[in-house]
Amino acid sequence: MRFMVIVKASKDSEAGKMPGKELLEAMGKFNEELVKAGVLLAADGLHASSKGARVKFSGNKRTVIDGPFAETKELVAGYWIWQVKSKEEAIEWVKRCPNPTGDEGVVEIRQLFEAADFGPEATPELRKKEEELRARAAQKK
Amino acid sequence: MRFLMLVKSTTCDQGAPQDETFLTAMDKYNEDLMKAGALVELSGLHPSSAGARVKLSKGLVTVTDGPFPETKELIGGFWLIEVKSKEEAVEWAKRAPMPAGRQVEIEVRQIYDVGEFVPRRAVEKARGEGKKLAARKT
Repeated sequence: MRFMVIVKASKDSEAGKMPGKELLEAMGKFNEELVKAGVLLAADGLHASSKGARVKFSGNKRTVIDGPFAETKELVAGYWIWQVKSKEEAIEWVKRCPNPTGDEGVVEIRQLFEAADFGPEATPELRKKEEELRARAAQKK
Repeated sequence: MRFLMLVKSTTCDQGAPQDETFLTAMDKYNEDLMKAGALVELSGLHPSSAGARVKLSKGLVTVTDGPFPETKELIGGFWLIEVKSKEEAVEWAKRAPMPAGRQVEIEVRQIYDVGEFVPRRAVEKARGEGKKLAARKT
């Protein structure tokens, strides 16, 4: 099973403040453990929402709003993609994570859809296409 | 530059839209992203009932199982794209197909380049391992 493990933002991350040396080292070690365990598929930090935008969809209308966005606690500051056997295993790994925002942090764990999850409407043709897409995108990485 | 496009909706917890028109339009959109050389990764997320939140506070860990009531900010899926500018990323976001009858928003966020944020060596190694893993598991 694959999970997106989302680090929620904080005042510091929204201010573009870099984590200190100790936290960077602890994170580096944690990421190495994830790699050794065969869990880590991806890891990225996000720039503050001041560098971002939102596109609102309403019928045929598209409205673009530039960041920053106010609800700090609900914003994404970074994420991992992990391959594990269960949600419980993902939770155990998160408990071992050095506190990513250095003070009080929230990490949200969300399961990724696999092609097999889409049910009968996702025809074999659509599923095959998704696998091809993923394989070609992986080469780009 | 890399950007994350996050699909956010109040209806994410209803599950992935199943109608064939939408799925076909989404398929074409993803192909367009691929042909433009912009697509890096994409996925839908299961409803938050399948998820959890872990709160870390001064050595104390609290785990809360989903679902999460504040559905306005729930993420339903994402694309990871590589493009020349934020403007280009926003243009892609505007073109994304949307299912009928759902209130949706796409948040476009810039990703830190390797070396800007995390020690380069650890992340490059992780990417290499991640690619090998993904290739083995598909």
